[in-house]
Amino acid sequence: MSETSFANISSPPLGGRPRRRRDGRAAALMMAPNLILFTIFVFVPIIGGVLLSFAQWNISVGPPKWVGLANYRVLFADPLVGQAVEVTLKFLLLGVVPTVIISLGLAMLINVKFRFVGLVRTFYLIPAAMSFAASALVWRYLFQDGPGYGVVDYVIHLFGVNNPPDWLGGSTTWALPGLDIITIWLSLPTATILYLAALQRIPDSILEAATLDGAGPWRRVRYIIWPGVRYMTVLVAIVALLAFTNGSFDLVQILTKGSPIYATQTLIYYIYHEAFDFGDYGYAAALSVLQIALIGGLLLVLRVLSRITSR
Amino acid sequence: MILSKRTRRYIRIFFATLVGLLLSAPLFYMVAGSLMSNQQLQASTVPALIPNSLHFENYAHVFSGIYQTIHVRNFINSIVFTVGAVGIQWTLCISGGLVISKMRFRSRLVITTMLAISLFIPLVTTLITTFVVNFKLGLDNTYPGLILPIAAQTGFGTLLFRQYITQMPEELFDAARMDGANWWVLLRRLVIPLARPATAAYVAISVLTAWNMYLWPLVVATSPNLQVLTQTIVAVGDPGLGQITPQNVLFASVVITTLPMMLAFLIVQPAFVRGLTGSGVE
Repeated sequence: MSETSFANISSPPLGGRPRRRRDGRAAALMMAPNLILFTIFVFVPIIGGVLLSFAQWNISVGPPKWVGLANYRVLFADPLVGQAVEVTLKFLLLGVVPTVIISLGLAMLINVKFRFVGLVRTFYLIPAAMSFAASALVWRYLFQDGPGYGVVDYVIHLFGVNNPPDWLGGSTTWALPGLDIITIWLSLPTATILYLAALQRIPDSILEAATLDGAGPWRRVRYIIWPGVRYMTVLVAIVALLAFTNGSFDLVQILTKGSPIYATQTLIYYIYHEAFDFGDYGYAAALSVLQIALIGGLLLVLRVLSRITSR
Repeated sequence: MILSKRTRRYIRIFFATLVGLLLSAPLFYMVAGSLMSNQQLQASTVPALIPNSLHFENYAHVFSGIYQTIHVRNFINSIVFTVGAVGIQWTLCISGGLVISKMRFRSRLVITTMLAISLFIPLVTTLITTFVVNFKLGLDNTYPGLILPIAAQTGFGTLLFRQYITQMPEELFDAARMDGANWWVLLRRLVIPLARPATAAYVAISVLTAWNMYLWPLVVATSPNLQVLTQTIVAVGDPGLGQITPQNVLFASVVITTLPMMLAFLIVQPAFVRGLTGSGVE
């Protein structure tokens, strides 16, 4: 729409179409409902959260009291914060990395055409319809410990492990990986779909030519498939990161409540606990600022990583 | 290895199917468990995989009797919440998408950027202040309080529709405008019908998200009258609350709450895929 010429200035085109149309008023009216709701329930909470982090406040007792940096001073001295950040990072790392790797493998596995491929793909994708809540209840049974074994431990036992892990229960080592396994299971469908879309943009002819030239499976992955899907990896990782952020609340709240000895107390669960169990909204807001900074930092890391690897 | 191309293909298909069955195994287990007797589920040596006999009465227990887990009210709440949130949000997003893709005004870039940034600040991170705003507006424990803050998360939808509507030819809009159609008519007669694939993709993803949501209802709908299904099944499945729901009834409850989404997913799977990838997958 940048066809400005001198001719246009002297004589507007027939039909009276204004040269530089402005839809300001109609746009404002049509955008208003969207922006008003967005402002009230998304924008204000973000800004308000930052402000609240400088105050001391219990929602059911009087107005907020300005305390400056006090919440942040407490935050940096609070050993539970360090613990929660560590748990959160561990949860994200143990979850997002396997999700990316496994989903690429799955996408390659189902990127094949045969008669029932639609049905088979449905098996891969159907967990996407499950909620964290429903999955938590199913997996709690599968992960069950004693008197006999739960299904997962039984299978592990079949492979010759005599002392299978105590998932989600009393073990500080295995509780968090247990939560990760559930979230990975839930995140794989979306990640697999994204990789599959990228894979299908690689022309079959290139792969066939490589095979004819004697490139084995590993070389095909290394030199053709990976360069072809690398751009998608950032998106897969971001989507997984956000899913795991949600999971770091839902699953913890439902399955472990942060136990054993804070081994699964993620930052988000700690925030929830501070606000809704202790009524310390100001401190919870300061922790939320930390949480947003954490996600922002991780997104930045992903961006930098993708820059480096695509060079 | 000397395997014919055809054999390798069959091996691959076999593995693809096997892995698929493994990934959906927890769901099969959930259904199998919902039909087992409780003795069988609690067998202490070898976990049971196949029901000895089919106990359909487990499903009756979900809705009545001493172990009742789900009230019709919870079902209605989940439906009202999902339909309300997605319906309102769709209206906001498709009109907003039209505005920032085709209309010319000054703050377009600012708005688009703000919506994009909001994608990386999910509700779970701003939970406290969103709850406070909701509370201060007197919306605590009301349907509007449950629905509106979720409907207000317009970032994803608006940008999805923006992307779709941007690809519609400019001439179409110019021609209609010259015929004297205002933007509201354009929205109704042109954009909504043409953006149907985008709507399908958007609805598929948003309905799943809303139906499966746990966190927001948990903090805002504390009254039993307002509780949605995810809250209900978690509450009855919590051994810490002293209420012991038999495992088979619990499985049946989970099946009942997830079944609508499973069935819907089978139908909307292509739209779901399109919504995520921006195109189809063959």
